[in-house]
Parts: sequence; structure tokens; C-alpha cells
Amino acid sequence: MQTRDLHFWYGTSHALKGISMDIASHEVTAFIGPSGCGKSTYLRCLNRMNDLIPGARVEGKVLLDGQSIYDGADPVLVRRRVGMVFQKPNPFPKSIRENIVWGARINGYTGSEDELVERCLTHAALWNEVKDRLSDNAYGLSGGQQQRLCIARALAVEPEVLLMDEPASALDPIATAKLEETILELKSRYTIVIVTHNMQQASRVSDSTAFFYLGELVEKDATETIFTRPSVKRTEEYISGRFG
Amino acid sequence: MPTIHRHLDDELHVLADLLMEMAYLVDEQLANAVDALSKLDLEQAERVRMRDDEIDALEIKIDRQCERILALHQPVASELRVIITAIKINTDLERIGDHAKNLARAARVVAESPDVLNAVRLTDMADAARAMLRKVQDAFARRDRVAAREVVADDQTVDRLYQDVLAGLVAYGQEHPEQLRAVSRLITSAKSIERISDHAKNIAEQVVFVVEGTDIRHRKLTERP
Repeated sequence: MQTRDLHFWYGTSHALKGISMDIASHEVTAFIGPSGCGKSTYLRCLNRMNDLIPGARVEGKVLLDGQSIYDGADPVLVRRRVGMVFQKPNPFPKSIRENIVWGARINGYTGSEDELVERCLTHAALWNEVKDRLSDNAYGLSGGQQQRLCIARALAVEPEVLLMDEPASALDPIATAKLEETILELKSRYTIVIVTHNMQQASRVSDSTAFFYLGELVEKDATETIFTRPSVKRTEEYISGRFG
Repeated sequence: MPTIHRHLDDELHVLADLLMEMAYLVDEQLANAVDALSKLDLEQAERVRMRDDEIDALEIKIDRQCERILALHQPVASELRVIITAIKINTDLERIGDHAKNLARAARVVAESPDVLNAVRLTDMADAARAMLRKVQDAFARRDRVAAREVVADDQTVDRLYQDVLAGLVAYGQEHPEQLRAVSRLITSAKSIERISDHAKNIAEQVVFVVEGTDIRHRKLTERP
């Protein structure tokens, strides 16, 4: 996935200022930066989640497999290929099983639903914990399990890219560790982009890290490089906790 | 509670494997260096000299892995101690490698007056130092604090042998001043072996630190907790 000279405005507020970035396939890319730096806005541009915001405007290119996801593309199709997991787990008020199959069904899935449920829950590292209670309401799961169910639900429509907006911020340390492990296991099959306020999380799970500040991309590099030898002083000041 | 497999565990395994590789390479170098010196095998000595580059490269690789783990995983408690000790053990092993190279280099000079080798127990001293190194490698691999503490005590044996060898070399030099070049080179070699045992002791102290969290450095044997 790529962006070229991507600008975004909330009304007159210029939130993204010409972001050009290549997001490597089958890797985890982390976006870090202080609140208001534009990282979540940028993430939402990657599957057109900003479309419905009144007064919002986007300029520049967002390319998926070389094709623009704007310029007449169907946003529903875009979001099928680029899934999203949100900060707060938001399962449907339905059974665990229905959470998985519902989206696939309305997207025309005609294969075995049992197979789909097992595959998605396995990939999201949840199968062993819920396989005996698939008919239970998803609201009965713990927060960490709900978040992994949301990942499984996103996987059910077979996306190529999975966007995660602070997916562990509402979870306890054990659930966070489990989620991070899940992310590492998913990257062989999916391209993953994660926004996080937690720099330790970025360092633990990502292959590349991008640092945003005041709507600009300050630096993007291999995570090891960012956390050992960042090339921009402001990046070092941020990751070492001197501001933000 | 289910066990969570962590990426950090994989990184620590990589570090442990690198350290063991370094330890085996250094041990091999030391064995070959002592062999080269005791048999005055100049070809063997040259091979030891050439392989020192491999140790230097591994030292950098291990330091880099430690830096990576610290920066990306922020380990705490016993895992933090593992990284701190790995950095120190790495340095000790690299220094042992340098001393091995120096022992091998001595072969060329000593070959001019080979009789001096029979006058002192240099090989016994080298064997004792190498035994310490092997024992501490094993203690590190098995996290065996008892064996590590034994290595700390063994250093005194090598120190005593060093004093004997030193006295023997001085006496030999006085009787054979024409062989002073070889004698002085062997004095340096004896010092290298004594330093190797010191580094093995340092590593043993680090093993105790990583296993127990107890710092036993700079204390007399009787004062150690």
C-alpha cells in the first residue's frame, strides 16, 4: 500500500500535510506520535473511514496494489480489502459465530460457515478459548477476547490489509500480550498497520515504525533503527519521553 | 493461566545461542593456541591468529543483539540481568580470544629456544585455566550457580601456578641469559593465561548474578553471600 503527497483537512484545519509512504506487505507497520499528530487520521484515510466526516477533504493518492482507493473506487469494496479494528472492542450483540459469518454472508460468501468460523477464530488466536460456546453472546467474552473476536470478524471477509487503531488501549497487560502475539502471527498472511500510543508496543510488534508530528511524517524506518538510531532528533526526543 | 509465548523469548534464545557459539569458538581457539605453543607448531599458531577475526565479528553481533533487545523489549528483573551479564560475558570472552592469539604468537619466538618450555609448568597452568573456562561455559548453559562459585574459587589455583611459573622463568633467565627473548615472551604468555582465568572468574561471577541476583564481585571468598 502506498500514499503519495496525501493531505487531509477537517474543515479549515490542515491535519495531514503531504504524507508519502510505502507500507510493506506482510509486515507490521506502527504509527506513533503525540495526540493530534495525525496518525489516526492517516490510518482512517487508508480505508476511507474519513469519508463520512462533514467538511472533511482529502487530496493526494492512496494506492492499493497500484490502484487508487479514491477517484471513483467503491468505498465498500475498499473496506472489504482493507479491514479495521478499533480502539474499543465493538462486537455485534449476537453470538460469537454470528459475529464471524454475518459480514461474510452479506458479502456473498457461499462456502462452509463452520470452516469459516474455525479458520477466522484460529487465525485470531481465539478458537481454543471459545470453540465450545460459539452460540454464546459475544458480550459475554472478556475485553481481550472481544477484541480478538473483532479481528476474527475482520478476517472473515478476507482483507489484504488490517488496520488497527490503538487495539490494546482498553485491555489489561495479559490481554495485551495475547493480542500482540496474535498480531505477530497474523503478519504472515496480512499486511498490518497499527496506531499506538504505547511505544513499547510499537517496538515489540512492528517491523517498521513511522513517527508523525503536527500532521507531518517526520521519519519512517525499520523499527530497530527507529528505536536505536533514529535519524531525526525530534524522533529520539519523542521515543525517549522528552515530549508528547 | 495460559502461558504466553513472547517475541522476547525468541530474541533471548538467539542471544543465548550466539553466546554459546562465542564460548565454543573461544575455547577452541584457546586449546589450539596452547597446542601451538607447547608443540611450537607455527602453522597452527597462524591459524589461531587468522580465526581471531571471527571472534571479533561475533562480539559485535552479540552486542548488537543486546542493544536490540534493550531497545525493542525493555526487559526487566531476571531478563534484564541476562542482558547486562551477556554484555559483560561477551567482553570477557573476546579478551580471552585476544589472549589466545597472543599465546599462539609466542610460539615463533619461543621456537628460537625451545628448551625453556621444559623448565616450567606452563602447560599445566594453561590446562587449569582452560578447565575453568569449560566449567564456566557449562555453568552458564545450565544456570548452575554452584559450579559457577567453584570456578571463582579455582582462580586461586591458577594464581598459585602463575607465581610458580613466573619464579621458574626468572630463575631460568638468570641461568640462561642468552635465551632472555624467549623467557620474556613466556612471562608474557604466563600473564595471558593468568588473565584468562581472571576472565573465566568474571564470567562465573556473572552467572551467579544472573541466577541469584547476587553481586559477588570484589569480595573475598569468605565474605561472599
